[in-house]
Amino acid sequence: MRATDGFYGQYGGQFVPEILIPALDELERAYQDFKNNDGSIKLLQRYLNEYAGRPTPVYYAKNISEKYGFGLYLKREDLLHTGAHKINNTIGQVLLAVSMKKKRVIAETGAGQHGVATATAAALFGLTCRIYMGSLDVERQMPNVKKMRLLGAEVVPVDEGLRTLKDAISASLKDWVTNVTGTHYLLGSVAGPHPFPEIVAYFQSVIGREALDYFRLQGFLPDCVIACVGGGSNALGIFQGFLELSAVELIGVEAGGRSLDPGQNAATLTLGSRGIFQGALSYLLQDGFCQVRDVHSVSAGLDYAGVGPQHSFLKDSGRVTYTCVFDGQALNAFHELTRLEGILPALESAHAVAYALEHAQDLRGKRVLVNLSGRGDKDLGIIEKYMGKEA
Amino acid sequence: MRGIYLVGGYPDRETFNECVHSVIESGFDFLEIGIPFNDPIADGPVIARAIHEALENGAAPDQVMDDILLLKNTEIKKYVMTYANVVYSYGIKKFSGKMADYLDGVIIPDLPNRMSRLFYDNGFDIPVVPFATLETRLSDIDMINRSKSEIIYFVGVRGITGASGNLESSELLEKIRMLKDNTDKKVIIGFGIKTRDDAVRALRIGDGFVVGTEAVKRQKKPDELKSYLNSLM
Ligand SMILES: Cc1ncc(COP(=O)(O)O)c(C=O)c1O
Repeated sequence: MRATDGFYGQYGGQFVPEILIPALDELERAYQDFKNNDGSIKLLQRYLNEYAGRPTPVYYAKNISEKYGFGLYLKREDLLHTGAHKINNTIGQVLLAVSMKKKRVIAETGAGQHGVATATAAALFGLTCRIYMGSLDVERQMPNVKKMRLLGAEVVPVDEGLRTLKDAISASLKDWVTNVTGTHYLLGSVAGPHPFPEIVAYFQSVIGREALDYFRLQGFLPDCVIACVGGGSNALGIFQGFLELSAVELIGVEAGGRSLDPGQNAATLTLGSRGIFQGALSYLLQDGFCQVRDVHSVSAGLDYAGVGPQHSFLKDSGRVTYTCVFDGQALNAFHELTRLEGILPALESAHAVAYALEHAQDLRGKRVLVNLSGRGDKDLGIIEKYMGKEA
Repeated sequence: MRGIYLVGGYPDRETFNECVHSVIESGFDFLEIGIPFNDPIADGPVIARAIHEALENGAAPDQVMDDILLLKNTEIKKYVMTYANVVYSYGIKKFSGKMADYLDGVIIPDLPNRMSRLFYDNGFDIPVVPFATLETRLSDIDMINRSKSEIIYFVGVRGITGASGNLESSELLEKIRMLKDNTDKKVIIGFGIKTRDDAVRALRIGDGFVVGTEAVKRQKKPDELKSYLNSLM
C-alpha cells in the first residue's frame, strides 16, 4: 500500500503546523534514501535479527485450539526485545534519525511499549530521548515508566485532557514544533502526518512477511488473520503479508471498552466518522460539535480516538473487517491464554485473541492467525485490580 | 494592520461579545475569532485552557459563528481561527456557505499551505490565509502567492502560542525580507507579540501583527482587556 501525494484514497495528508512541513519533507527523503540503499536495509536487518530477536516464531496454540475447536496460530511479537512489535519501528526510525543527523528523539507512548522501545533504540545509538505519556497511563503502566527512566529517557507526564495517548501525541507535536531543527519525532503507530503512516507500515511489514513465509512452508494459508488496532501499526504490519491474498480474511479488533455508548470505548473504525485529527484525515470518534470524543479502554495502547489512514482506506474498500471486543472479553482472553498456553499477552493483544475466542462457533475448523503484538508484564497491576473487583 | 485574537465563547458568550466590542472600539483593523476545538495542537497553556473552558460553557461552532454574523455591519476585518476538523466535520461547503460573505479569511494552524486544496476543491470560497515560518523555503513562496488571501500569517517563533519570540533576530528579519521581496501580500506577524514595543516593531519590520495569548489572558476581565488594548495602540 503506497500513498499517492500523501493520501490513501481520501485519507491521510499532512494536517500539522506549516513549520513542520520542511521536517516532514526531509524525513520523506531520508526514508526514500534508506529504502533504496542495500547497506541501510542490511544494517536494519542485522539489528532486527541479532539485537531485537527476529524472526519471531509462529506458534500453534494446541490447547486453546482443542478447547475452542479452531486452529489458533500466534505470531509471537511478544518474544521480541522490549516485549512488543514496537521495536521494529523504533530501530528503523532511529536509523533514519541518525541519517538526518538528529541528536534528539521524542516520542509519545500509551501503554509504554513504544516509549520503552524508543528509549532502548535511543540508548543503543546514543541519542537524547524524551517520552511524553499521559499521567493516567503513567499510573497504570508504571513498570514501563521505570524501564524508560533506567534507559536514560526523560519521561514527561502529560496532565491535559483525559491524560492518555491523545494528550501525549499533542504534547509531542508541541515539542516538535518548538525543537524541530535538531529533533526527530519518533511516532509510534501508522498515525500522524505523511510520511509517518507509510514509514511505520514499512518497518512493521516484517511481521506479515515472516508470517506468510511460515504458512508457505506449511503448505497452507490461514483462513483469517486477526490483530488489535490502536493506531494500527501491528495490524497493518501483519495484514500487509496477506492483502493480496483475497482468500485470507483480515479482521481488525478495536477496543469496545465498557460499552458502545459514546465515551465508553475506543472503537474508532466501528463507530467513528471521518475527521482530521493529529496530522491525518481518517476515521475519528467525535461528537456532533466537531470535537474529539472522550475514549476509554482497559488497554492503554488502544485507548485512542483516532486511527491510521490506511485502515480507514481498508475499511471503506472492504478488504479488512473492523470490529471490537469489550474490556471484560479481553481480560477473559488474557486469562485463557495464560492458563492454557502459559503465555501472558499484553491487554492490547488480548483483544485480538478475544475476538477469536468469542467467535469460536463461526471459526470452527478454520486456521486463525492472531498477531500477539506484545507481552503482558506491564499489565499485571491492571489485571490484579480487575481480579480484585471480581472477587 | 493591527489585530487581536479572541477565543470565541470564552469565558462565556456574553463576556466574549463584550470583548469583541472592546476590540472594535479600540480601533483595531482586524479581529481573529477562535472557534474552539478540543485538541488545539498549536496552542500553549493559556489559550488551550481558555478553549476547554469555552467548550464547557457551550461554545459550539454554530454559536461562535452566529456571534460573528452579528458583526456584519462593522467595518473591522474578520478572520476565523480554528482547527481543520472544525471546518471539515461541520462541512467544508456548509461552513463556507454560512460564513463566506462575512469573513476575510480563515487561519487554520493545522492546515499547512499545501493542504489548503482539500478545502478549495470541496467548495470552500473563503480565502485560506497562508503561513510563513522561520523554516519557510524560497520554494514555498509559489504556494503562498497562489492563495486568495491578502495577508500572510507569519509565525515568528518556533513554538506554540504564548511562546516568546525575538523580533530582533537576524533569522526573522531575513525571512521577512524574503517574503517582502517575493510577494505583494501583507506580512502579519503572529506568535510572540506581547507589548506595545513588540507591536511597534512588528509594524516597522512587517505589515502588521496579531496579539493572542496576552489578549486571551484578559478575556475574563473586559476592563483589563480594554486598557491593555489601548496600551497597544
Ligand atoms: C503490545 C501492543 N499492541 C498493540 C498496541 C497498539 O498499537 P498499534 O495499533 O499501533 O499496534 C500497543 C500500543 O501501545 C501495544 O503496546
